[in-house]
Amino acid sequence: MEIAKRGRAAVTICSTAFSTLGRAQAAALGNPELPIAVIPHPFGTRTRDEVRDLARQCVADVVTLITEKTRGE
Amino acid sequence: MAERGQGEGGSVRFEAPDDIEAINRLYHERRWSDGLPIVPPTVERVARMLARTRRTQDETVAHLAPGFGAATVERIAINAVMAGCAPEHLPVVIAAVDAAAAPEFNLQGIQATTNPVAVWIIVNGPVARRLGINGSFNCLGQGTPANAAIGRALRLVLQNVGGALPGEMDRATHGQPGKYTFCCAENEEANPWEPLHVERGLRREDSTVTVVGAEGTMNMNTHTKDAAELLRVIAETMQHPPSNEYCYGSEPWLILSPEHAEILRAGGLTKSEVKRQLWDLSRMPAGRMTERDLLRVKASRTAELGEIRADTLLTIAHRPEDIRVIVTGGPGTHSVYVPCFGNTRAVTREIADAG
Repeated sequence: MEIAKRGRAAVTICSTAFSTLGRAQAAALGNPELPIAVIPHPFGTRTRDEVRDLARQCVADVVTLITEKTRGE
Repeated sequence: MAERGQGEGGSVRFEAPDDIEAINRLYHERRWSDGLPIVPPTVERVARMLARTRRTQDETVAHLAPGFGAATVERIAINAVMAGCAPEHLPVVIAAVDAAAAPEFNLQGIQATTNPVAVWIIVNGPVARRLGINGSFNCLGQGTPANAAIGRALRLVLQNVGGALPGEMDRATHGQPGKYTFCCAENEEANPWEPLHVERGLRREDSTVTVVGAEGTMNMNTHTKDAAELLRVIAETMQHPPSNEYCYGSEPWLILSPEHAEILRAGGLTKSEVKRQLWDLSRMPAGRMTERDLLRVKASRTAELGEIRADTLLTIAHRPEDIRVIVTGGPGTHSVYVPCFGNTRAVTREIADAG
């Protein structure tokens, strides 16, 4: 949020368990359009390979979100 | 439902049905209640509440995480009415809101976490007796209007102004009953040592609130009359491997009953010596934690403790003085261990307008 306020493209990453919180808090702080990359919860029961796959997907999501955000501005 | 203007402190006035059940249905549907019936915050009731403080109703006491709503005096008064507070309770609730917003309390974490943490209010000083805030029999249970209403008012403010609605920004996996209300006074008359607020730098004649991020209560019933034995079993209760306290080095709380406090005093112990011995006795081998939790401990405490191995003895707090001790409750051989949320520190505020 602080980075976005300074006019830089910013993406927040959170798990599905906290995505409602993230969206509600972004709206409460005046930035309802803040891009949020959401990772499936929980991590603790996943194998190392599954976590790697999640990380790769998350990186792709971040790139997509930040590209869309930059194009939109 | 027609709006009828605004209050000076950011509230919206509306015309409600003249029926207590319909009003409660409305508050329930809009998620303005904690699930229990509320006292309708009519303009007249809120005005009577506001008359009990010298603060102006549009003064913002704090912005409350995670929604960062402005906790104006008027909004606090509205929630205090809803909770069943008497007007003279308002200065206590305002001080509690102010304390909960202090950065070291970490309200963002406390409000939004999956942890069951509730905000426990401890009241010290003359105001406790004057308002009938219970620090004796069943002080954490039902039956005392001031304890019930003040704790409930803070919860309603945290939910309605701070925005921590269950399942939305309040992500608690289970929560706990203390999230309805959690408020007591210290039993200063039965405390053989200095009371909490004096220990924290205030005068005995000052009236204060202290807020604590409390995970819950664990009763300890022991009939021992021996100070060393008493400390040993308390320390063994404090040790629990799936603990935020050992993970981060925290601020655990101990509620001593007057009888247990007297045993420790008669054993020649000062409060600081009680803390020092508990800090030593409650050291726990890191290997008692699960492997994954041990990774969290290493991430958070290696700088403090050096290399952490299975046989490393973890302290529950960074320093002995971070263990907090109060004396409250009635007669009985029970004391209470109150584990703390972890990334939080209790905050004490003097009550302005305490009267």
